[in-house]
Amino acid sequence: MDRKFFLYFSEILGKAVQDEQGRYLGKINDIAMKMNGEIYPKANSLTVKRGLFKREFAKVAWEDVKEVADDHIKIAADPQKIFFSTECVECEFSLCRDILDQQIVDIYNRKVVRVNDLHLLRADNYLYLAHVDVGIRGLVRRLEWTEIIDWIVKMLAPHSPYLSREDLISWKSAQVLTLGRVKNVLRLDVARQKLTKIPPTELADIMEDLNVFEKKNFFKSLDVNLQRKVFTDLVTSQQAELIEELDEKEVVNLLENIPSDEAADLLSKIPPRKTRQLMKLLETKTSKKLSKLLKFSKNSAGGLMATEYLYLPQTAFVKDAMQKIKENTQHPGNIYYIYLVDEQHRLIGVTTVKNFINCDLEMPLIETKILNNIFVRTDDSIEKVALLLEKYKFNVIPVLNEENILQGVITIDDVMEELISLAWRKYKEKI
Amino acid sequence: MSFKDHKMIKSIVLFFSVMGPGIITASVGNNSAGIATYSLAGAHFGYNLIWCFLPMTIALIIAQEMSARMAVATGKGLADLIRENFGVKITFYLMLIFFITNLICIMAEFSGIAASMEIFHISKYISVPVSAFLVWMLVVKGTYKLMERIFLGLSFLYISYIISGIIAHPNWKIAFNQIIFPQTKLNFESTVMLIGMIGTTITPWMQFYLQSTIVEKRISVDDYGHERLDVVIGCILSTVVAFFIVIACAATLFNSGIRVETVQDAALALNPLAGPYASALFAFGLFNAAIFAVSILPLSTAYCICEGMGWDEGVDKQFEEAPEFFSLYTAMIVIGAGIVLIPKFPLLKVMYLSQVGNGVLLPVIMIFMLSLINNKSVMGEFTNTKMFNMVATLITVVVIILNILMIFFSLLHY
Repeated sequence: MDRKFFLYFSEILGKAVQDEQGRYLGKINDIAMKMNGEIYPKANSLTVKRGLFKREFAKVAWEDVKEVADDHIKIAADPQKIFFSTECVECEFSLCRDILDQQIVDIYNRKVVRVNDLHLLRADNYLYLAHVDVGIRGLVRRLEWTEIIDWIVKMLAPHSPYLSREDLISWKSAQVLTLGRVKNVLRLDVARQKLTKIPPTELADIMEDLNVFEKKNFFKSLDVNLQRKVFTDLVTSQQAELIEELDEKEVVNLLENIPSDEAADLLSKIPPRKTRQLMKLLETKTSKKLSKLLKFSKNSAGGLMATEYLYLPQTAFVKDAMQKIKENTQHPGNIYYIYLVDEQHRLIGVTTVKNFINCDLEMPLIETKILNNIFVRTDDSIEKVALLLEKYKFNVIPVLNEENILQGVITIDDVMEELISLAWRKYKEKI
Repeated sequence: MSFKDHKMIKSIVLFFSVMGPGIITASVGNNSAGIATYSLAGAHFGYNLIWCFLPMTIALIIAQEMSARMAVATGKGLADLIRENFGVKITFYLMLIFFITNLICIMAEFSGIAASMEIFHISKYISVPVSAFLVWMLVVKGTYKLMERIFLGLSFLYISYIISGIIAHPNWKIAFNQIIFPQTKLNFESTVMLIGMIGTTITPWMQFYLQSTIVEKRISVDDYGHERLDVVIGCILSTVVAFFIVIACAATLFNSGIRVETVQDAALALNPLAGPYASALFAFGLFNAAIFAVSILPLSTAYCICEGMGWDEGVDKQFEEAPEFFSLYTAMIVIGAGIVLIPKFPLLKVMYLSQVGNGVLLPVIMIFMLSLINNKSVMGEFTNTKMFNMVATLITVVVIILNILMIFFSLLHY
């Protein structure tokens, strides 16, 4: 018998399930899949439905499936041993419940789409989930209008792209969003690796198209490193929304991994009750930093600054600086500026990689310091910070308190972000 | 300031930040087709049908509250939820019916524009194409939010009905009697009118629209209490206005035995307040209501259908990015406005019949909503309580019975 290798899920959904003698047992209601690290999930069991008013379901293991024909499935199990019950069949992941008609992220084209149909690979009576169909043909097929619509289109426009175009996405690049219902994390394997190849900014854009719950699931499927990057690229309102949805442990993990100025910004946007809870859970070092930052007004230098910066005692040598940079390549803040401080953590000088990279390793670091000793105070305005950064063409500026003790640093990115949102607000008020 | 005051102020501020979707949706509910239906109800049935406002307000609050709760608990629109839980087939046919009903509603709103402008002696061949074009431009230019606020502000014109209703000296004794002991004889006319009134008060598209706007506003579960208040206030405001439209018409038109055939007749209800300017005031209110609805209805219908079918949507996209969305949107405006331009088109009748169409679709949508909101895997802890379910089911059953009665009477009628 000549058979297609591929068939659409809609073609067999609702078709008859027969025993080996060809007697009717019920209809195909759903197919549960096994996710075992393979690229394409394999059919694991079949859900059979019978009855019109009193619906009953039964589960048949795929080992008992003898034949997957185009219009029916034959099973070998003894009909007496198939138990129908009114309860829905439990499984970890099934085609109808978890993919068909749901939204997925098309990682290849980087957008959120709705699944119209599924493309299954048939090999030795086994079925594998190969592609998801997100196109208009899939939609028409589900509605069972394919023949009539094809006929009309052929009459009107024989060369229409509709007739030949299939919008199939490989399962490899489909990221499921309904994890909430399926409980366990599905795509540890392939999708995650794929996701790491997409720039975090684009992932953040994709996330903005999702609702709160999907956002959470999508975010959880990223690894910690990527989570941090994507998170920093989200708009603050979206960050706050996400924080409210995540578990405390996950939030804590995240807050410890993003620059402290952003973490403080974020904490100031969520309800105080929750902030206090989180602060308790954060490592004492991080929470001390954050509670200091939270005290400053948002538009002052103190509110803008990050407390991650590299510093060395004023007696350090160039080799110490080199070592410090090598140790801190994963540092969330800026690593090109090194601050020299005395025992009381008062700022003595600033040096940059540019100034010492070509110097002798044994040379005292203080000799490479930048001549202009510019800094801002914690209560200086954002405008002053911007002016100074612009005037001296610096990327980072240190923030000191009244006793000249180094409190933190402000990068030009932080200032720009504030200024742009300020300008945007003014612009919006105008229109 | 004491702690208690502080808490109250905070609560009020929170309410205003959340406020909006419920009140906007309810005010669009009083669109020009609604005004027409209520005017007819008052003019032809007098105080006979006013008892239905009490149960209708409760039904409206219950329906809207469910939509709001679904929005907050799932973060998804109603069309999304129907697609994900009932499959593509049901969604498609439902969306098809939804499209047709809303198209008739849009037609009715364009009729409202035509009728109101005719009072100012502006031909419908000018007023309808011009407003259709303006509304269409709104989407292209993206000034939609601003217009929404203007229309909402102008909705205060409805107050003129309340004033007019009071100074027309309605017979409150008969009115209260009717509220407490309804004495409506059920026949074809009164059943159709009842369904029309229910259809205009609790429209299917309002459920979709409210849910989408709450989702879009990203109101969180914590703010849900405030959102519920917004919904309840909106529902009460809109039914109070509707109630007074009926009262004003009953006190003026019904008492003088005027059969309302044209919009000019309906405007007489505002005579006690505005005297010779009654028809101008009426026309302006009607025009505002119509254009408000015309700017929201096609847009929200296109959004819903695209949401359910999984097509790209959004006014900020280019035509090539979201062809289905823009085609649907344009088609609804062009067809809606085009049909109204047919000579001798019965404007008032269409406005009224569109509400009957809504009344027929309503129980179908209610059944879907009830099924979704009681599904634990969709709603989590936010499913309906038993009591709530009983009331909601009762409402659905009553509307179904009324629909069956209407079909039954119409068979007898012809």
